[in-house]
Amino acid sequence: MKRVVLPVLLLLVLSLVLSACGPAQTPTAPPPVVTVVREQVVVTATPAPEPKKLEIFHWWTAGGEREAADAMFKAFKDKVPDVEIVENPVAGGGGVSHRVVLQARLSAGLPPDTWQTLGGAELKSYVDGGFLEPLDDLWAELNYAAVIPGPLAKAVTINGHPYVVPLNMHIQNILYYNKALFDELGLQPPTNYDELIAVAEAIKAAKPEMSPLALGTKEKWEAAFVFDSILLEVGGPAHYVQVYKGEVDVKNDPAYKEALQKLEALVPYIYPYHAGLTWDESCGLVVSGDAAMVLMGTWAIGYFQSRGWTPGKEFSAVTFPQKPERILLFHPDTYGLAKGAPHPQTTMEWLKVVASPELQIPTDVTQGGLFARIDIDPANFPDPIRQELQTYVRNNPDKLILDQHGSIAPFSFTQAYWDVIAAFIAQPNVDGTLSSVADLLTTYNVKAEAAWYQWP
Amino acid sequence: MNRKPRRSFRQRLSEVLESLPFLAPLLVFLVILYGMLGWTLYVSMANWVGTAPNYEFAGLKWYQMMFRLDRFRVDMNNNVKWLAIGVLPTVALALFLAYMLEIGSVKRIEGYVRTLILYPVAMSFVVTGTIWSWMYQPDKGVLNTILRAVGLSELAGRYTTNPATATYWLILIFVWQYLGFAVIILQSSFRTTELQEMVEAAIVDGASKLRILFSVIVPNIRGGILILVSLLLISALKVFDIVYVVTFGGPGYSTDVLALFMFIATFQQHLVALGAGLGMIIFLMALVIVIPYTIYAFRKWFE
Repeated sequence: MKRVVLPVLLLLVLSLVLSACGPAQTPTAPPPVVTVVREQVVVTATPAPEPKKLEIFHWWTAGGEREAADAMFKAFKDKVPDVEIVENPVAGGGGVSHRVVLQARLSAGLPPDTWQTLGGAELKSYVDGGFLEPLDDLWAELNYAAVIPGPLAKAVTINGHPYVVPLNMHIQNILYYNKALFDELGLQPPTNYDELIAVAEAIKAAKPEMSPLALGTKEKWEAAFVFDSILLEVGGPAHYVQVYKGEVDVKNDPAYKEALQKLEALVPYIYPYHAGLTWDESCGLVVSGDAAMVLMGTWAIGYFQSRGWTPGKEFSAVTFPQKPERILLFHPDTYGLAKGAPHPQTTMEWLKVVASPELQIPTDVTQGGLFARIDIDPANFPDPIRQELQTYVRNNPDKLILDQHGSIAPFSFTQAYWDVIAAFIAQPNVDGTLSSVADLLTTYNVKAEAAWYQWP
Repeated sequence: MNRKPRRSFRQRLSEVLESLPFLAPLLVFLVILYGMLGWTLYVSMANWVGTAPNYEFAGLKWYQMMFRLDRFRVDMNNNVKWLAIGVLPTVALALFLAYMLEIGSVKRIEGYVRTLILYPVAMSFVVTGTIWSWMYQPDKGVLNTILRAVGLSELAGRYTTNPATATYWLILIFVWQYLGFAVIILQSSFRTTELQEMVEAAIVDGASKLRILFSVIVPNIRGGILILVSLLLISALKVFDIVYVVTFGGPGYSTDVLALFMFIATFQQHLVALGAGLGMIIFLMALVIVIPYTIYAFRKWFE
């Protein structure tokens, strides 16, 4: 008996000792450090033959987006034929699960070469964490700042350095509408709040079963989209930026209060069961005829098309509001270079391709945003909606402000803020919401955290 | 002199080695569970914001912030609702169901019925949550469609889209899902020879069926009930998936619970320290609720 037990015990002890040593050894053991130093010397003497490999994290996995990711990698392979692309796509729109996995990898010191990030607050959190290399040289080499809109360059520039290469711009404040219905009722697409209410009233009178405005607030940010459009009209662009930079005393701000009151007056025209729907389901209400309009970003174009609707035929879109000033709220998808990236040379080649029209045209046309480069011909878009938007951006590159997803304010604030606005639409309470928002602005220290954002 | 005989080194070594397989699970348990717990406690008092770990000590800063948040107040309320309404009705219902399956006419189809009510347990919350959220859909969901079809449209509700009552509809899913499991546990504790004999004796004495349930069965299956209640308490306390799938905390944050807020704070707000703090609050609630209960339960049990 004992003879059998002893070796088993020894094995057990060994495995225990090993498992105990495992995690502790990695950060402190000296030998790996030495090899790293030796490798660096080799790199400076003769360029090391780096394997042509790119490890990339992105969240374009859903229908329509998957095709865009394929177009993106095809463009890269056309430039660098022998490259091996290692994808770590994490399913989930908006990249919620993607961020969970990426955060774990970064905290563990095992970064991929490059990963998808939005400009603005999300990018800033990676920069603050020290996970990205500044790309001043690359931008200078490509002269990238000259070919993209100024506000876009500012949205990816933290503390004076550009950290990523944007490949598109999504526009948040677009009002999609059922064209056949508008033609039938003889309605013009609304360009400001009063017209929106008038149109909603007309729709409600003609079609009592239909909700004039579709909305889905399950993911909460959709609620802030509606509010942003109203706030932008009531207070103007400079005020909008100040609010999200924490420079406005929201509790005593007449413009903010007026915007909330206007949102409250809009609630009766909004689809009542919005709390259970995601953004695509809310667009689905327009397709199914349960609602007439929806405020959504450029990515909704792809959704409508996937349901068999043709832009300009079954549905059309206007940016909202257009008065007193036509401002587009935007956020970019971008890629950067990880600090400590396993394949920095391949990654730099990748970033050059990301900046090129050869990648941006097939990718953006498929995925749904606008081109980051304003020197690309808007006629490359198949739909009239984006042709018009891209032309507007080309002629007015300064009329862009970072939106909810790009986020001027830090993520901690933005996430909590969406919940408050979504709660407001479910149960309007102007004074309570004013003090909640004011509390959130101070609690999450927005004034200091958003100071990096410069507009105009 | 009363000295023990000295054992050789070899002997002692083999004694230690022999006790290791029994100690090892305990050691692994201690290191992994309490190590992580201690680490979470420390992170909750550190200044970790954003993606990069930051272990700079910040004291109780995050706890103070947490207690100021309205969302935290809502979460605590909701967690208490889950504990109260999620557990007691489940146990009571399961008791009656199990008893009905044991007695009389239902006995013949008992096997089928039991399988039927046990099915929900075999499904994950993500699946059942999705199905229930379809059923709850106020304008196209099956519940309201049926109500309207039979002319009861005034009963058609807003379910999970009404901030005031949404949490209760979520708890209903939990009750439905755990009912079968509860029935099985209670049924198994019915089937001891002792209890069967007592029930037979009660029948001979002419006791009514309800009387048998409350005066004979319930006092004698205390062990089963205690286990069931503690399992349900723990499940209700850590509830996350139902809320995540069905409402994601909405409308607004009216159905939010601590576990979901912990996830949102950590991975969406990037306030890792706050997330760790919320984890500690859940842990404390578990201590406050579960431990006195367990002590009470064991005392009763071994009386």
